[in-house]
Amino acid sequence: MENTVTLTINGQKVTVPAGITVLEAAAQIGIDIPTFCHDPELSRPGACRICVVEVKGWRNLPPSCVTMVTEGLEIETESDAVVAARRTILDLLLANHPVDCMTCQKFGDCKLADYAYRYGLRKTSFVGDKTDFPVDDTSAVLYRDMNKCILCGKCVRVCAEIVGRSVYDFTSRGFTTKVAPALDAGLGETDLSHCVSCGSCVAVCPVGAIAEKNMIGKARSYEVKKVKTTCPYCGCGCNFDLNVKDGKVVGVTSNPNSEVNGRHLCVKGRFGYDFIHSSDRLTKPLIKQDGDFVEVSWEEAMDYVASRLKDIKEKNGGDAMGVLTSARCTNEENYLMNKIARVAFETNNIDHCARL
Amino acid sequence: MANVTLTINGQKVSVPAGTTVLEAAQQFGHFVPTFCYEKDLTAPGACRICVVEIKGWRNLPPSCVTAVGEGMEIKTESPAVIEARKTILELLVANHPLDCMTCEKGGNCKLQDYAYRYGVTSPTKFEGEQHEVEVDDSNPYIHRDLSKCILCGKCVATCREVPERSVIDFAFRGFNTKIATFMDTDLKDSACVYCNRCVSICPVGALTDKNLKGKGRSWAFEKKEVTCTFCEAGCKFDVNYKDGKVVGVTVNSAAPGRPLCLKGRLGTDFMYNPDRTDLPLINKDGEFVETSWEEALGLGNIVEKINSLKK
Repeated sequence: MENTVTLTINGQKVTVPAGITVLEAAAQIGIDIPTFCHDPELSRPGACRICVVEVKGWRNLPPSCVTMVTEGLEIETESDAVVAARRTILDLLLANHPVDCMTCQKFGDCKLADYAYRYGLRKTSFVGDKTDFPVDDTSAVLYRDMNKCILCGKCVRVCAEIVGRSVYDFTSRGFTTKVAPALDAGLGETDLSHCVSCGSCVAVCPVGAIAEKNMIGKARSYEVKKVKTTCPYCGCGCNFDLNVKDGKVVGVTSNPNSEVNGRHLCVKGRFGYDFIHSSDRLTKPLIKQDGDFVEVSWEEAMDYVASRLKDIKEKNGGDAMGVLTSARCTNEENYLMNKIARVAFETNNIDHCARL
Repeated sequence: MANVTLTINGQKVSVPAGTTVLEAAQQFGHFVPTFCYEKDLTAPGACRICVVEIKGWRNLPPSCVTAVGEGMEIKTESPAVIEARKTILELLVANHPLDCMTCEKGGNCKLQDYAYRYGVTSPTKFEGEQHEVEVDDSNPYIHRDLSKCILCGKCVATCREVPERSVIDFAFRGFNTKIATFMDTDLKDSACVYCNRCVSICPVGALTDKNLKGKGRSWAFEKKEVTCTFCEAGCKFDVNYKDGKVVGVTVNSAAPGRPLCLKGRLGTDFMYNPDRTDLPLINKDGEFVETSWEEALGLGNIVEKINSLKK
């Protein structure tokens, strides 16, 4: 039989499985506790302290993400002491945060802005230094502004624990602490950073420190309609959300409910969508006539291809031809190409790219 | 009416003569930003954010007050247009509080949207003095923070549309210009009746609905248009839902008539009022006791009573 624990959260008695955290228990009954550094898929540093709660009889305000439920706990998630602690944490974060929400790509999906709004912290009360790190613009797909970083460390952990690249870590000390690749290289300097541009860090970043470069200026989260789809690039079947604005795909973001991949994608799935509305994209078949490509109908193009292939087979035999299929095709389409090669062309020259 | 044929961003279009360039562009899906333009109000052509480029014209005309002409070749986002818009935005941002993080209008603010679109961020090249106007929080309905006002004047124009209102107008000159009530009083000491039509068209965070303050960002609400049930005027307004619960009523549009009277605005409060009675009560021995509707209306055994009358 499953062990259960009964505790009280905001006056409400709840029975939950033993071994879960106070944060998880609160979430089960619909109570939202703010978090920055916590992520259900990653290890728990309990570092940011924004998730602190009040436990009756306890001396301090424990972080709920690393506090296990025990029998009879009496918890308040929004008591005066808790709100005061959270406001101080936010106040300190805002003291060293750029005020460019007006143009920040992350606005609308930024935990810092959401919590500042929730706790009514319009301006910081602390005056002091502000970090002035240069923006890392070296990556082709990721924009990194470490002045917006709140050092939650989720990018460090997702890269080490899920992706297994360990591109990032904390560097320097104290006020100058920042998250950086080896030798403070840019992400795009891949011989040093070893970044594979999978974008798992952008999927977990709670603020505007890491953003999808090709979405900047195009649309913010509240302007887009998210359409869940399956990636067409390979057979893995990863799911993600196409971000659609005014009928056009402006970006791809993780969908946490993806069964195969969760929030994790490769560079192709997350960033390889710019061909959709590319003006260079071929939408009609072309046939070369007198040195120029001319648009023709599909019927004409198919007839032309079939007749030329027949000619070649008659003149030089089937082995003069080869077929290269694609990982982007379905199994059925690849099977049919195999039939065309071996039965129609009468050749065994068939291969598969598998490395698109 | 005769049609006029013109070219917008390379697309040949035909629209009725008398249409403005702005309307023509919007009709065919070309984005043109606007601050001071409002469909049902007289266009002052003041803010200049809607300027476009017309081939052969010396200047960049504001599209909201430029009528279409035969053969016009219009570009809505040419480099010259973008440069002009960026400068206008830089001038506005230079004198704007950068508290989008907690601003009620965040996510539904034209200044923020256009600054994002054209990449205008602080500090701009025009840093200088900033307005410090005290927030007018004197009434329960409209939060008025004129340090966020961009002087588009739409609130003035829409207030003037209401007979005998004209509560606000431009006051003072130059940098000190602001929207003010008569004698620059707080709204509570003015002739304002809080119809909130000005709030519904304010493009920035200068005028916001107090009943939604702190309840959520614009994108967290789902708006549903309803017809008010309090009187027979048939006003329409928006009921704002968040997580399935009604959190407040807002003006649907600055349409003719009074978009929101006190009853329409406050009438949702009773929805979740714990004092609300769902069942009739009958006073029995000095105590109110919950009872059925049949009993309260004296309709108990109604079927039997009717049946007894039948032969």
